[in-house]
Amino acid sequence: MTALLALAVLGTLALGAVFAVAMDGRIAQLAAGFARQRIETEAPDRLNRDLAAVWYLALAAAGLSVVPFAPGLALIDSPVGIVIWGTCEALTIITVFLHGWSSNAPFPLIGAYRYVAIGLPVMLPSMFVLIAAALPAESLSLPAIVESQRGMWNVIRQPLGLPLFAIVVLTLTLRGPMDFADAADIATGTSAEESGAARGLWEIARAAMLVSASALAATLFLGGPLGPVLPGPVWLWIKTAALMAIFAWLGRRVARTTPSRMLTILWIVLLPLSFLHLAMAGVFAL
Amino acid sequence: MTDLLVALLAAFAVWTGWRVFRVDSMVRASFSLMLSFVAVGGIGVLLSAPYIGIATVFMMAVEMMVMAIFMVMFMMNPAGLNPMSMVHQHRISIGAGLLAALALGAAVLLSPLPSNPVLSEADVVAELGHELLGPSMLIFETAGVALLATMLGAVILSSRQGRFGNSDEGSRPPGLTPEGEPAGRKPEGGGGHHHHGGHG
Amino acid sequence: MRLSRLASRAPAPVFGAIGPGWQVAVERLLARSGLRRALTPRDAGILLVAGDMPGDAAEALGRVHDQLPHPRATLRWTVSHETADAVADRIVASWRDLGAIDEADLLPDQPPNEWKGVGPHGQGGKGMMGGTPYGRPMAMTGEDIRDGLQLDRYTARIGPFAPMLPPGLVLEVTLQGDVIVAATVQHPPFAQPVDADAPELCAARMLTILGLDGPARRAIHGRRPGGIWVRGAVPRGLGGIEGAGDARDRLAAFLGGDRAAVTAPDLSELLPGLEWSEAMLVMASLPPSAILRAARLPEAA
Repeated sequence: MTALLALAVLGTLALGAVFAVAMDGRIAQLAAGFARQRIETEAPDRLNRDLAAVWYLALAAAGLSVVPFAPGLALIDSPVGIVIWGTCEALTIITVFLHGWSSNAPFPLIGAYRYVAIGLPVMLPSMFVLIAAALPAESLSLPAIVESQRGMWNVIRQPLGLPLFAIVVLTLTLRGPMDFADAADIATGTSAEESGAARGLWEIARAAMLVSASALAATLFLGGPLGPVLPGPVWLWIKTAALMAIFAWLGRRVARTTPSRMLTILWIVLLPLSFLHLAMAGVFAL
Repeated sequence: MTDLLVALLAAFAVWTGWRVFRVDSMVRASFSLMLSFVAVGGIGVLLSAPYIGIATVFMMAVEMMVMAIFMVMFMMNPAGLNPMSMVHQHRISIGAGLLAALALGAAVLLSPLPSNPVLSEADVVAELGHELLGPSMLIFETAGVALLATMLGAVILSSRQGRFGNSDEGSRPPGLTPEGEPAGRKPEGGGGHHHHGGHG
Repeated sequence: MRLSRLASRAPAPVFGAIGPGWQVAVERLLARSGLRRALTPRDAGILLVAGDMPGDAAEALGRVHDQLPHPRATLRWTVSHETADAVADRIVASWRDLGAIDEADLLPDQPPNEWKGVGPHGQGGKGMMGGTPYGRPMAMTGEDIRDGLQLDRYTARIGPFAPMLPPGLVLEVTLQGDVIVAATVQHPPFAQPVDADAPELCAARMLTILGLDGPARRAIHGRRPGGIWVRGAVPRGLGGIEGAGDARDRLAAFLGGDRAAVTAPDLSELLPGLEWSEAMLVMASLPPSAILRAARLPEAA
């Protein structure tokens, strides 16, 4: 069973990443990248420069491994599943920072610390959303959160949850309005000095993280593998793919404001909103 | 199996901890320290304390990230172009390090360690929650509020925009009467643009 | 083999080095399907050199060229009677056949200064910050212009082919984090035809900075750009100029098809105090002719 679940995690991650890249219309572009060479910067931190994309991929895989593929069946069936996911989020911020820091050049470094400045306040709404989803289940374990949604999905009884979590997903996957790391005004930021296969691998890791985060959103808000007729994994895949399409669409369509304004929005609008969300979820759970 | 994993994680924690002092940049040192804590968190998970173990990793990840950002803010050192030494005040630090290691080692070796294995069916996370929000609630809530107050106080004290104007311009509370003596304590050293001598 | 066939179907990634008078032609060219505007030379396969480059830009051009990863090709577009179609065909043909073309470096690949540590820990200077270790200037703390906190200051020269700045403009900026504390013009932008001020092109430049590549492309093609929260994403009051509103007003004017007549203050006064991304948004909100007038060299100002 464990081997089967491991296979499901890796297969979902691989196929989902292909789907994510295809949605962006970038499959050929990605293939072209792998045919090209890499150029070194002066005195980079080679370890982190080579491994940042690998850490990113590994965090996507670790995040997906707590997601139940059928009721009660997750690869890592931990009593603290959502805390593991929260840890993956925090470590993702570090990975993106190291990606920018390690190439030893100004624009990537600006992208790196700009992303941290945005990423840390995004963690706060994320934590409140995760805790709110755990409230009706009275458990931090994801299979229990799925079970708690048998009667009603969290997306209905916690209406603010999915919109708030969408911001977290866009931040974690460096997309559109929350892509402060690889933005156009700093010549693609943390990736500005990356070429060839390294750039391609970073793209794949971003796509894999979109799969992982969308699968988690499907589990938290759309009942994960719950659904009639079809088997659990199929429902999870359908919901994950639908959420991926929504997040990719938002990423392409919504404009990105300046970092300082986004910081203000995060602290002054979204943080109180997530307090409200948690309070509403608590009242509902009582 | 668990013994072996604990031993490996402990060795990794010690090795990355040693790396903190051997690397040549603040960012590398911060993240070496984080790896050390990650290994300790892993040991926590293996010791049937999943919440405390994972939460340690989570906390340390965020803390070390903030630390690394501060390092870049004050001594921007991308990828160690300008290497620096991570050790200073050798005598005091060696002495303090030895003393702490001996004291902690003695405490571990001399105190009777309890041996009550956690039952596999025990819901440790729920028990921890009941402990934190039950008998120990007062302690944790007091500590939490005190920390929050400290953070807010630090931000307010270091902010340029004081209550009565910019702090570097000799901010001054308003007078009791128009143009009169300020209410409360007078700013030291005068200076600034708000008042021009004559006030004594 | 299948990977390379798939790869050759990808849109050709082009980094445009734009010379005097060629901004409009290149911006319209790179919005075509089958071509993709690379935002960094590292992401490009083709270097498109449009127009006659002044002699003082030759070294910078060489440096950009050497930053393209192998295999790479340079195409020149200098005669105005060569149509955009013909150039696009040339680019796609070179992209398909890139492996056979590959070009060597133009400049010697050696560091400008020797690596030789001075200080006791192998660092280049005596202290741990600042100075020019190994001949490379490092950041040194200085007062933050907003609250006087001592933070790193880093000075760098950006341009003349930086994709987020008008072609030809070389700015020497001193950054504290991403706040610009000082900016001087080292080289003014190249003169461009009146068409460069066309509202759809100005709108597209702003949309690119706002992270909306698709809408930017559609704007250049004269279609409705679409996009959510486009005007709202530009902060109110940013880049406000007497008589020309702020950046949000100018974006609204561009999107409405109006040319904005702007007399911008000198760049060395306009940019300090802004964060880098705000500054780039303000720059994109100014028509190229206005930037040309605002980019006075320090001695002339």
